[in-house]
Amino acid sequence: MKVTVPHLGNVYIAAKALFEGLGVEYVIPPLNSRDALEIGSLYSPEEICLPFKIMLGNYIQAIEQGADTVIVTGSCGPCRFGEYCEMHMKLLRRLGYDVDFIVIDAPKAIGMKELAARLSRVAESSPLSGRQKWRALLQALKIMQLLDSIEAKAHDKAGYEKVKGTCRRLLNECRQKTYSCETPERMIECLHDYSRMIDGTPCDNDANPLKIAVIGEIYTIIEPFSNLYIEDKLMNMGISTRRLLTPSWWVKNTLLSPLRLNSPGIRRASRDYLPYSIGGHARECIGEAVLSWKSGFDGAIQVFPMGCMPEIVSKTILPSVARDKDFPVLTLVVDEMTGEAGYITRIEAFADMLERRRSHDVSRS
Amino acid sequence: MRVGIPRGLLYDRYHPFFIRFFSELGAEPVISPPTSRAILDAGVQCCVDEACLPVKIFHGHVRYLKDKCDILFIPRIMQLRKGEYICPKFCGLAEMVTNSMPDLPWVLSYPIYATSMKNLRRWAQETALPVTGDRKRIFAALNAAMREQARHKTGYDDKGYPIKVALAGHPYNLYDKFINMNIKEKLNRLGVGVITEEYVSDEDAAQEVKALFKKPFWTFARKTYGSVAALAARRLVQGVVYISSFACGIDSVIIELVRDRIGDFPMLVLKIDEHTGEAGVDTRIEAFADMLERRLGHEGHRSASGQCVYSCQGPF
Repeated sequence: MKVTVPHLGNVYIAAKALFEGLGVEYVIPPLNSRDALEIGSLYSPEEICLPFKIMLGNYIQAIEQGADTVIVTGSCGPCRFGEYCEMHMKLLRRLGYDVDFIVIDAPKAIGMKELAARLSRVAESSPLSGRQKWRALLQALKIMQLLDSIEAKAHDKAGYEKVKGTCRRLLNECRQKTYSCETPERMIECLHDYSRMIDGTPCDNDANPLKIAVIGEIYTIIEPFSNLYIEDKLMNMGISTRRLLTPSWWVKNTLLSPLRLNSPGIRRASRDYLPYSIGGHARECIGEAVLSWKSGFDGAIQVFPMGCMPEIVSKTILPSVARDKDFPVLTLVVDEMTGEAGYITRIEAFADMLERRRSHDVSRS
Repeated sequence: MRVGIPRGLLYDRYHPFFIRFFSELGAEPVISPPTSRAILDAGVQCCVDEACLPVKIFHGHVRYLKDKCDILFIPRIMQLRKGEYICPKFCGLAEMVTNSMPDLPWVLSYPIYATSMKNLRRWAQETALPVTGDRKRIFAALNAAMREQARHKTGYDDKGYPIKVALAGHPYNLYDKFINMNIKEKLNRLGVGVITEEYVSDEDAAQEVKALFKKPFWTFARKTYGSVAALAARRLVQGVVYISSFACGIDSVIIELVRDRIGDFPMLVLKIDEHTGEAGVDTRIEAFADMLERRLGHEGHRSASGQCVYSCQGPF
């Protein structure tokens, strides 16, 4: 069995650590690029959302490198993501690829027994003892969490750094170096080193950079390729950004949601605007907008793939948040046709507008 | 007290329930007129651009009712069956409307979980509050409304046409004659009868759904996929006409699943949005009807040179 996983931001680094730790054979698909998207959009149904197309591209590229089993998480609606596995399976079979799917779904939909059976299919292919397997899993989670915190730090510091581009360079180096490490232990060490380096970046403490929150649909904000590297672009412009939705947040949220202990802050913040969970991360999107306003951000950028059902609802609500709180929100819709120039222009105009608001001369010419 | 009920989305399916419920309570239901160009335009003006056509039309109906009622009723249908949902836009419908239109009257939008009588009673109590607090009266109204709804039947099953097709899609696309440009009449005029999912037995549909790896978690996806697959697999129809609104997330999944299941079986997908021209739709329906007719061999399926143009020995 040679397993593979689709890309989602930095998850591939943690996935590598997990499979190395377990001693399972694996293929990490080539990093997302135009190629993956082109393969994906060629075979996908036209109106499906962008993540589906990119993920299909990942699968095909991984299969061509020898993968025969895909591990992917599921969900049970009402967002389309839950149907991805079914459609991917059928599409790949029709294209003549012989590939197995292990779908890690919520126990309430498939039952605890089925979930355990599916998980053990992965675990059984590992020659290690039970304790070592748990250790590998915990190490992978630790790596994910470290990566997320390093990324958050770098995004925040980008506005304060004395030498422009330091944080972005360190972040990219960190990803590459960690990925090239052989064992999970070495990865964790490497991450700690980079964490310290980012902490030690010389900063201008008097700087007062623009602060923008990146909110919206979870895949498109976490996977940099799908949002045309918006966070890197903002870092280059010397803007501090924050994004609450991360892979480690998702893990925590999913584990705590049966107990209703998940993200109480976000739920409380969204109560005035969207008191019900309507699927996807629409409620989180509204909650984050309110929370970023509360923590003194200048504005927020919402990113979602064309046709995303939950985010369309939040897009309707965000103007009310913007009006009530005097908090500008820019919405960017991405799909395989998004042109980069228009995209950059809109981000730049938004940043300019936020800057002018600070000097209170928006109303004057 | 006048309660405004917009004639949009699932109105065609559940109007007896809602109208009876409010009139039993002593309120006066005010219903918007059937969808028209004016209503669509009003909806397009205030609704968010990315929304699908039926949601935009719903906004138009609300805009019409805005000044003509004291209370506005927006059904927030969360679940019709346990473990199944509808589209996320239904769950957030009230927020979509209230945030895109100013000066709305009081909006009733308590979530509807039609999964148990207990949940429905709770909904009835919350919803009836501005009209009456009398529990006995509310439950009597709920029961009367449920009886009324049970008598209400939708769906088509035409008899006596040489060709029959499965007419599939969301109920609001099938029964709103403005949205679908009266497609049933158009098909009938071309000698094509239609059958809808209501006339497919639950067992047949369930059998098809069971063959899937994962049970679809949308009520409409389950029913539509199951019934279209059952009709096509049992050769009870000669083709499928699927009416889908542009950028409908659920349809993008159902159509793909249906295509995978029925293979080469004829299927026409009509995409509709606010720009759809009637002439283009007519042409496509006519071409589809012609093609079905030829497949049946009613028309000369031999070309002038005597060679068989169309082979009937395909998988279907």
